[in-house]
Amino acid sequence: MPAGAHRLDEYLQATRLAIDVDRVSLEIDLTAGVSVARRVFGWIDTNRDGQISSTEGHAYAQQMLGAVVVSVDGRTAPLSLIDSRFPEARDMTAGAGTIRLRATANLPAAASGRHQLSYFNGHQSETSVYLVNALIPEDPRIQIAAQQRDAAQHRLTIDYDVATHSPWARTSWLLVGLAAVGLLAVSRRAPLNR
Amino acid sequence: MLALVVPLAFGLAQRASPSRSAPPGANASATAKVVAAANAFLATLSDAERTKATFDFTSSQRTGWSNLPTGIFQRNGLRFGDLTTQQREAALALVAAALSRSGYQKVTDIMNADEVLKNRGGGRTGGRQGGGGSGRGGIQFGLDEYYLALLGAPSATAPWMIQFGGHHLAINVTVVGPNNVMTPSLPATQPARYVLNGQTIRPLGNENDKGFALINALDAAQQKQAILDYKVSDLVLGPGADGKVIQPEGILASALNASQQTLLLDVVHEWVGILNDDAAAAKMAEIKANLPRTYFAWSGSTTNGGLAYYRIQGPTLVIEYAPQQGDLEHIHTIYRDPTNDYGARLVKP
Repeated sequence: MPAGAHRLDEYLQATRLAIDVDRVSLEIDLTAGVSVARRVFGWIDTNRDGQISSTEGHAYAQQMLGAVVVSVDGRTAPLSLIDSRFPEARDMTAGAGTIRLRATANLPAAASGRHQLSYFNGHQSETSVYLVNALIPEDPRIQIAAQQRDAAQHRLTIDYDVATHSPWARTSWLLVGLAAVGLLAVSRRAPLNR
Repeated sequence: MLALVVPLAFGLAQRASPSRSAPPGANASATAKVVAAANAFLATLSDAERTKATFDFTSSQRTGWSNLPTGIFQRNGLRFGDLTTQQREAALALVAAALSRSGYQKVTDIMNADEVLKNRGGGRTGGRQGGGGSGRGGIQFGLDEYYLALLGAPSATAPWMIQFGGHHLAINVTVVGPNNVMTPSLPATQPARYVLNGQTIRPLGNENDKGFALINALDAAQQKQAILDYKVSDLVLGPGADGKVIQPEGILASALNASQQTLLLDVVHEWVGILNDDAAAAKMAEIKANLPRTYFAWSGSTTNGGLAYYRIQGPTLVIEYAPQQGDLEHIHTIYRDPTNDYGARLVKP
């Protein structure tokens, strides 16, 4: 697992959002700088045994996600934790280990047209710096039209368009249509060999 | 070959479907050089050392690189501090064969910066926790803490890879026939300025100065498009972000005039030109062809000497320049090709 940057006195919360027609997926990477790492570790290691158990990790992941709000077209989309991975205590306290959370929010299938996704992360804002970015959608029917953030990247608003059919699908149907017309024309001109 | 080796100091020295490959034979001489240098390096090793230095081309070692220092991140391959003088020279000759003269100089400047960091006892934003910079069991800096690994057997036809790195440096060169690819790579530095033998060295000084020259060459309306209204405090696509393609932001290069586009390409060349000249020329041609779809985004001060982040993103290119935590003496950068990291476009599955 590649390791990221080394930080000192900040808790870096980096989020990447992937928009699909019927869901939003979040990749959240949390890296505590060395000066704040013990404090962050203490938030997670609630029984103070120096280890992060699966129960403690899950509880912290849920707590963190509880501070994240995703809404689409004004309706809040509840987040479900998909996966959480925690580094070794030694790596975390060295300011290097990264907590990796993966979450998703299911949405009603988006109709064609303009939509707006809003993201807010308010987790531990007094010690944190934030990055939030939209990934280019995998589905070619979805095109991101605009992004707006606040100065600290707590918030990101994404305007995106959903097309009824992908350009490729439209092209395919057009080709099929043209082929059908062509075949019809040829069949009408061809002499009948009876 | 060894004439290329700059002596080290301190007594030791967006989605796209671009073409699949460079013109046949375009870079065959560069590949021949690097294959010869790799075989020369392997010939200096014992069987045990060779086993330690080599990995399968498809092994997880390929993505197992980092900017972090020893003690936080454990690299595989051969550690420079464990090599004999002859082995070390052969290792550096291999790195030099893969890179351009200026690229190799940049790499040695970055390594020397880490030796400076070690002698200063670590950096303010160095991630160091207690102990000395060279203490056993702690975080370790300096020239001995660079590692070299080969993935696959050196070949003029079959794919293989050179992985060289340590604190603030990850150079990944994938060789596929005549094609040499240097993405993803991470050149960084701390300090950003130091004096060596009476000369001031700025390993990433051009990246800084050319970035500021470009943003200041834009008119007010262009700057309004290029400058992000939020703070970017770190790399977005740093280590571990393989395969991610973010929505581009900033100003499109098609909205720049010819001289501004030249400045932009000059900035880009600071990363692309680390690789040997033939391969860099092929990559620059590809980037130039994609220039109308390439974005330039800036965040922070526009006065050189101030704190600023920038990103250049095109169909086959991502470059980020990111000072760390407000420290102008601590710079991280990343260079990626979302279509061809680790030579993905060239290597048949």
